[in-house]
Amino acid sequence: MSKKECIAMLLAGGQGSRLGVLTKDVAKPAVSFGGKYRIIDFALSNCANSGIDTVGVLTQYRPYLLHSYLGTGGAWNLNESDGGVSILPPYATQTGGAWYEGTADAVTQNIGFIEQNDPEYVLILSGDQLYSMDYQAMLESHKRHGADLTVAVMPVPWEEASRFGIITQDEDERIVKFTEKPNKPDSNLASMGIYIFNAQLLVDTLNEDAIDQTSEHDFGNNIIPKLLADGRRLYTYEYNGFWRDVGTISSYHETSMDLLGAKPAFDLFDIQAPIMSNSSTKPPAYIGPNGAVDDCLVGNGSRIFGRVAHSIISTDSYVGERAIVEDSVLLPGACVKAGAHVARAILGEHSVIEENVVLGSVDQTRDTAVIGNNVVVGKGEE
Amino acid sequence: MKKIVGLITANYSTKYPTALSETRPVASMPYLGRYRVVDFALSNMVNCGIRTVGMVMPYNYRSLIDHVGSGRDWDLNRKKGGLFILPGSAFGTSRTGSRFLLRDLVHNKAFLERGEGDLAILSSASFVYNMDYSDLVAAHRASGADITVLTKRASEKDVDVTGFNVDGSRVKSLKHGVEFADTAFLDCFVVGREFLLQMLEWYQQTDYLDLFEAMAADYARVNVQTYNYEGYAAAIFNKDSYFRANMDLLDPMVSDELFPEGRTIRTKAHDNAPAKFERGSRVTNSRISGSCRISGVVSNSILGRGVVVESGASVNNAIVMQSCVIQSGARVENAIVDRNNVVPAGTELRGTPEALFIKEKAAE
Repeated sequence: MSKKECIAMLLAGGQGSRLGVLTKDVAKPAVSFGGKYRIIDFALSNCANSGIDTVGVLTQYRPYLLHSYLGTGGAWNLNESDGGVSILPPYATQTGGAWYEGTADAVTQNIGFIEQNDPEYVLILSGDQLYSMDYQAMLESHKRHGADLTVAVMPVPWEEASRFGIITQDEDERIVKFTEKPNKPDSNLASMGIYIFNAQLLVDTLNEDAIDQTSEHDFGNNIIPKLLADGRRLYTYEYNGFWRDVGTISSYHETSMDLLGAKPAFDLFDIQAPIMSNSSTKPPAYIGPNGAVDDCLVGNGSRIFGRVAHSIISTDSYVGERAIVEDSVLLPGACVKAGAHVARAILGEHSVIEENVVLGSVDQTRDTAVIGNNVVVGKGEE
Repeated sequence: MKKIVGLITANYSTKYPTALSETRPVASMPYLGRYRVVDFALSNMVNCGIRTVGMVMPYNYRSLIDHVGSGRDWDLNRKKGGLFILPGSAFGTSRTGSRFLLRDLVHNKAFLERGEGDLAILSSASFVYNMDYSDLVAAHRASGADITVLTKRASEKDVDVTGFNVDGSRVKSLKHGVEFADTAFLDCFVVGREFLLQMLEWYQQTDYLDLFEAMAADYARVNVQTYNYEGYAAAIFNKDSYFRANMDLLDPMVSDELFPEGRTIRTKAHDNAPAKFERGSRVTNSRISGSCRISGVVSNSILGRGVVVESGASVNNAIVMQSCVIQSGARVENAIVDRNNVVPAGTELRGTPEALFIKEKAAE
């Protein structure tokens, strides 16, 4: 096996519990997004587009859909005989086995994978973020700084800074302070949870952390503070493009709406490198004689006979005659039958809204309505 | 299903050349925005479990090779079996009759000899339909025929489709062209693999003929049975049948027949964004492919991948292929616009329903 300069470890085991019914059956990275993608497509495409051809995907929660979706990685040009996508679920050894207990622990349990590839650098990624980024540029910055660890950061609005891991840096971009969710932030540079480590340092640090009884085995809470305390060379890499961690139903809805409009905040048509996906082959969308589609993204296989405005209509969705859909996200295979009215709602995969059902409201102050995958909503059940 | 080998004769072009067929064989004509005609022959084979498929190539094979690649999108990139690219006769590809030139078969005997299984299914790549070939194979096995040809009842006069004169379900002779209610050949048949190889020996001297022409004197001793297909099937042999076969898919009933649940027509995968319908766009009775961006008016039309219809532009009763841009104020009507064309602001590309306007492919 040829030596790899940099491999990626993609954390994809999280449940994403705040996404509620959307993650009842599937892990958050496998949740559909943007009409034809799944959330993990973004990180995987970034890897492929950045020339990183060895990606370990650490899975744990509800992995079936995720595993079958990943396949051999061919959809992202990652079906390499020497590298490619490796699915890394928790496994057992002679002394037993354990679930992944934290982000760092998940990687610790797969140190063998890192050693097998013997890279110089390890890129740690999260499989549940939406952004388009060139990791090669980040790696160049890491090398230029002679860093031990580089943390990707982005400026966030000051009033939101206390929701993030906040980084204070000196004029050379060297990190001087890292605080998880500070009450009084003294910087608005937020960690994106994207790290490049020198591989040997990562392995050593994880091994030490593993035997530390007080550690939660988390990169943000334990590993970074420890390296900082040890006086290691920690640097930032600033990113200024679109980036979202869709943690909640409302942020999922909001980020979906960010794809729309004449100048979208997140423009799928203005991305240097394509977002790749393992999409199913369906005929082009059909708009019926009475259909009306205004300010929408529409995936293949969709059939629209009613009126749809400011919405994401994913692959294989159906909107019947006289139905109205507005400010909503229809996940793949969702079906809104004739005469139904859906507003500000997220309809799970293969969910069905029966005829004439009224669901949700355009009122921004009300919660976004969410229907789980495969759920049927009949008249009187809304 | 037992192992069967598939062979697709993809080296036929249309007898009535248009700007559309100049650069490509019928097999790689774009169909319904995102497909190529060959996808149907390939998918029908793969969907009934065939995993060894030979494809006889035309001389202008670039677009076809580019499309099928290693066969990955049809699960034909395999350790055992898979997709075999076979050489075809260089010319004489746009001929009357069915589409199984003996020379092509004789030259590729090795493929048939090495193939596994007792049967072979042969098909051209000039029809659009979605069928479970298991039914054809079951009928073949049940009847004990030497050959079972896939047929349908002709719905109209079509001089390019091959017909059969039949007695019940037994083929008596070949007929060039079909009229309403004739037995039309869908250019697909199932045959014993050994028997086919034997026939290639018989007819080696007349290898310039089509297999079914060479058999002319033998229909009494070779038992050729028809299997009548009831579903939607469209021939693509000239610009009008090509246009019709596309427009048929604006009918949801036809669409359900051609794209039923569970039998996917597979095609080369592309990483396109979903289609974007901008504010103020008006789209009715149309098929819109991935990564299209529509700001104008589109009606009764089929748009290929990445087509842009600017605000104030209109497209009606037209096929607009991949990556075209219809600029603001431009108008496209009763037309087929091949790939990569920019229709400049304020200009028109207009034909009539009887005489479609054809705009040839533009340079990339």
